[in-house]
Amino acid sequence: MNLNKLAWRNIWRRRRRTMITAFSIGFGVMLAVTFTGSGDYTYTNMIDTGASMGMGHVTVEPVGYHLKPTLDKRLRKVDAMRERIAAMDGVSDATVRITGQAMFASARKSVGGAFIAVDPAFEREGNNLLLRSIVEGSIFSDRAERGIVIGSRLAQKLKVRIGKKIVFTTTDANGEIVSDIARITGIFTTGIDMVDGIMALLPIASVQKTLNYAPDEATLIAVLIRDQRHAEAMRDAVAGLPEASDAAVLTWKKSQPDLAGVIAFDKAGNYISQFLVGLLIAVGILNTMLMSVLERTREFGVMMAVGMAPGTLFRLVMVESFWLSIVGLILGVIITAPWYYYLYSTGIDFSGAFGNDFSYGGVLVDPVFKARLFKESVMAILGGLFTLALLAGIYPAWRAGSEPPVESLKTI
Amino acid sequence: MLIAFFLSVLLGAFIMSAALAVHGDESNQDRTTTILRAVDDLWRGDSSYAVVTMQVKTEHYTRSMRMEGWSKGKEKTLFRVLEPLREKGTMTLKSGNHIYTYLPKTDRTIRLTSGMMMGSWMGSHLTNDDLVKEARLEEDYDATIGFEGMRDGHDIIEFTLIPKPDAPVVWGRLMLTILADSYTPVLEHYFDEDMELARTFTFTDMKMLGGRERPAVLRVVPADKPGEYTEFIYETLELNIDVDDAMFSTQSLKRR
Amino acid sequence: MRILTLASRNVRRNWHRSLVTMLAMAFACGIMIFFSSLMEGMMLGSEHSVVSMNMGDIQIHAHGYRDDPDLYTRIDDADELIVALEAHGYRAASRIYAYGLLAANMASSGVQLRGVDLAHEEQVTELFKHVDKGAWLDENDGNGVVLGKKLAGTLGVGLDDELVFVGQSSDGYMANDLFRVRGILKSVSDGIDRMGVFMPMQTLRDMMVIPDGAHEIAVIRTDRTGDLAEETAWVEALAPNLEVKSWKQLMPVVARMIETADVQIMIMLVIFYIAVATVVLNAMLMNVFERIHEFGIMKALGVSPTQLVLLVFSETLILALVASLAGLVSGWWISDYYEVHGIDMSALAGSITFGGIAFDPVWYGAVTADALIYPVAFLLIVAGIAVIYPAIKAALIIPVKAIYYR
Repeated sequence: MNLNKLAWRNIWRRRRRTMITAFSIGFGVMLAVTFTGSGDYTYTNMIDTGASMGMGHVTVEPVGYHLKPTLDKRLRKVDAMRERIAAMDGVSDATVRITGQAMFASARKSVGGAFIAVDPAFEREGNNLLLRSIVEGSIFSDRAERGIVIGSRLAQKLKVRIGKKIVFTTTDANGEIVSDIARITGIFTTGIDMVDGIMALLPIASVQKTLNYAPDEATLIAVLIRDQRHAEAMRDAVAGLPEASDAAVLTWKKSQPDLAGVIAFDKAGNYISQFLVGLLIAVGILNTMLMSVLERTREFGVMMAVGMAPGTLFRLVMVESFWLSIVGLILGVIITAPWYYYLYSTGIDFSGAFGNDFSYGGVLVDPVFKARLFKESVMAILGGLFTLALLAGIYPAWRAGSEPPVESLKTI
Repeated sequence: MLIAFFLSVLLGAFIMSAALAVHGDESNQDRTTTILRAVDDLWRGDSSYAVVTMQVKTEHYTRSMRMEGWSKGKEKTLFRVLEPLREKGTMTLKSGNHIYTYLPKTDRTIRLTSGMMMGSWMGSHLTNDDLVKEARLEEDYDATIGFEGMRDGHDIIEFTLIPKPDAPVVWGRLMLTILADSYTPVLEHYFDEDMELARTFTFTDMKMLGGRERPAVLRVVPADKPGEYTEFIYETLELNIDVDDAMFSTQSLKRR
Repeated sequence: MRILTLASRNVRRNWHRSLVTMLAMAFACGIMIFFSSLMEGMMLGSEHSVVSMNMGDIQIHAHGYRDDPDLYTRIDDADELIVALEAHGYRAASRIYAYGLLAANMASSGVQLRGVDLAHEEQVTELFKHVDKGAWLDENDGNGVVLGKKLAGTLGVGLDDELVFVGQSSDGYMANDLFRVRGILKSVSDGIDRMGVFMPMQTLRDMMVIPDGAHEIAVIRTDRTGDLAEETAWVEALAPNLEVKSWKQLMPVVARMIETADVQIMIMLVIFYIAVATVVLNAMLMNVFERIHEFGIMKALGVSPTQLVLLVFSETLILALVASLAGLVSGWWISDYYEVHGIDMSALAGSITFGGIAFDPVWYGAVTADALIYPVAFLLIVAGIAVIYPAIKAALIIPVKAIYYR
């Protein structure tokens, strides 16, 4: 006897019931896809944006820098290291940077802030958020000139404009107080008030001179990778390089713990919610299967009386459960596909509700609600729902085989 | 002392820069050099000791402080507050690029960080940065004579000081006016990059100090708050005194 | 015919079917209640984190203070204002601030001193509960200060370490004093973490020579259900020369973010309700459609169509009521547990910041009337609607067809 075919036919005996249950499974798929997909999209976005804000997906920095970021700590032979890393598989960019605190002063006022010293030849909009956000002027063209790019709010506080000079004061490699001058070549607006109010970009070679660094010393190398999910593997690969033997290599999770925290919290919240929905759907499936078993008590009684083993009945109901799940999943894919496509390409634009400029975990968030699923997530969703559906079928299946034929035949 | 700061180094240095200047207009350069050297001679000394009273008037308070100070060369200076009682014993030590402050109330010495440099020194209209930058003026500016002749009934010479392109100074231009006969400084203007006046130093009250006639009062007035001022009034000044290098160290701060 | 009696007998007769149906609905209701309580907890928790930690519902400043925090820009009659506010049922505390340099061993940092009126502050904010190491301030320990988390790290200090502060007092002198680290806070907000130094108000008044006045008054409502905008306007009327702003106006980014999160939560709730609806629908449909045979017999015996419809609805009512009761009890019980204990996310998350404010990593549920009532009401309504079609079908079918209905 072909159990599978029998099971398949059985579930279609009550078409309406099967369809409604299948629909609820399909609904679960849609929900899971929406929330996991939008989560994946948002998190990837946030991680990539966070990476372009200064530290990259993977950061190579001096040991101990993370706990106490002072300018006396530096990496040596950075240019060689950078080239080695940039040539690695999966790396989209590697940039050398010096980061530190400084006082910025104009004739009118002085303000405390922070700078990132970069080589303009290697900085692109893709790996540098501040560069991306320039609204006036441009980044300095040479790594050794005296240019500076500052945030719009900082420019306002200092009462300066493009072309005007700023004196920045900081502490150099030996702990001495040093100052230097720079002329504003560009102004950026990221939308994050704090960043616009304290950050500045400086040319790396000029800063190396001011700080009394050697020409191949810097604070860190920011590594940007194509797929942010490979950050940990990349970190291990970089840490294995001989040039990086006396440096610390971190992923963004360590260098931007606030961002990591927000993402972890949101993910956990999402999972809990989806789990509860899954549970609900399982209850629905259980209900359906149990009903179908209970109303066939007599039928099962007859089957057992004519020789069918209880174990076979158990398998029969499990296979019915299996078919029900499959129908549900297929239905789920059908109703979700157009919805997912819409979210993937257009998305729901929330910018009316919350503007273009808020920070979540310290990073700018795109206000368009989009979805992007990773292959693993798709597998996880389908697999999870499938498992739940099967689990829901266990009790009814057990019930089917456990009632002695004599009792079942008593029912009408 | 402070006048010594703002002038002797300021001017003495121009002798160097003037001497190194391109010989485009040689006779003029020579003259600038000579005059500036003479002005500088008014203040030049290898070391000095002074007693000064500082008066500060701002929107919120008016206060007065009396202090003594020692200097050696351009790099080392030490101030000690004598009055009022509340601040007596407070000391500021400048050694090269560093500024240290000793606070008698807590018996602690603090080294000023880059963040404090733009803060006011002792509540006055001068900043800590001003104190440090003095020693570097020679590297930072080019001087030319802008005007010579009668102004307000006095025969004066006016110098224009333009910061060198790489100089880490916030000013756009400085203008120094001296009396043509005695080479006594009278007025100094600080302009920002848009050539708007930011602050003014005036030198008045000629007196016998350290064996010569010098201005005893230096007044600093911020351009955006003309009602406020900081005044340094010299009581005594002695030049080329005997002073030990050890005095200008952080250890000596506590001992006193 | 006594419909209810017949209905209850029907229910008991089809015992297994009834039980299964009720369990499904009870389960759905219970999960719904738990989920709602978690969502409500999330919404309330967010606002709570922002408001109760340090900000308050409403803040009062002298005009211009926020743009340029000057020692001299003060609220003059802070005490009278606080008395007036408290008379109206609010709780308020004044604060004074000063900026300067804090030095310890080898390191130093620019800081913001925060003078706290201890008695009042404890009624307004929960900062005093948020100490990570050491203890909160004490009036009797004038020179014991509490530092922000990152500041303690930058200075490299721990409990009982010595600190020197240097700044400029209001009468132009160099204010300086020695302090001891009494406590270190957990993460609160970006500004406080990096620059915050808390001390008893009197200590700051003495050191910076600010005998009276305050820089900021934080106000919190005891009854948080009122309209914030209205209440802000009322406070504004009370203090006509001062700037009065609600936390939503002061932190528009966080406010918008919380509103958006609320919208997202609403969306999730709606989707969840729809999922619940399918389960209930399924259960009730099965309940009626699969008994058309039974109803056919009843019709053949003389039960009128109207009576049949009423019968079906009565059965539904009984099933749904029992289910909702069970769901309510179980849902309430679970939600209550999580209201007290919460789901501890800190293993996953550590510190979380949104828009510069640190949020509590423990997710508490909130058993609100909404979380309890809506799921139950929804269950009853959906169950009712679900049976309309099958009931009418059952009522109108010809008995012969019903007996053979497949």
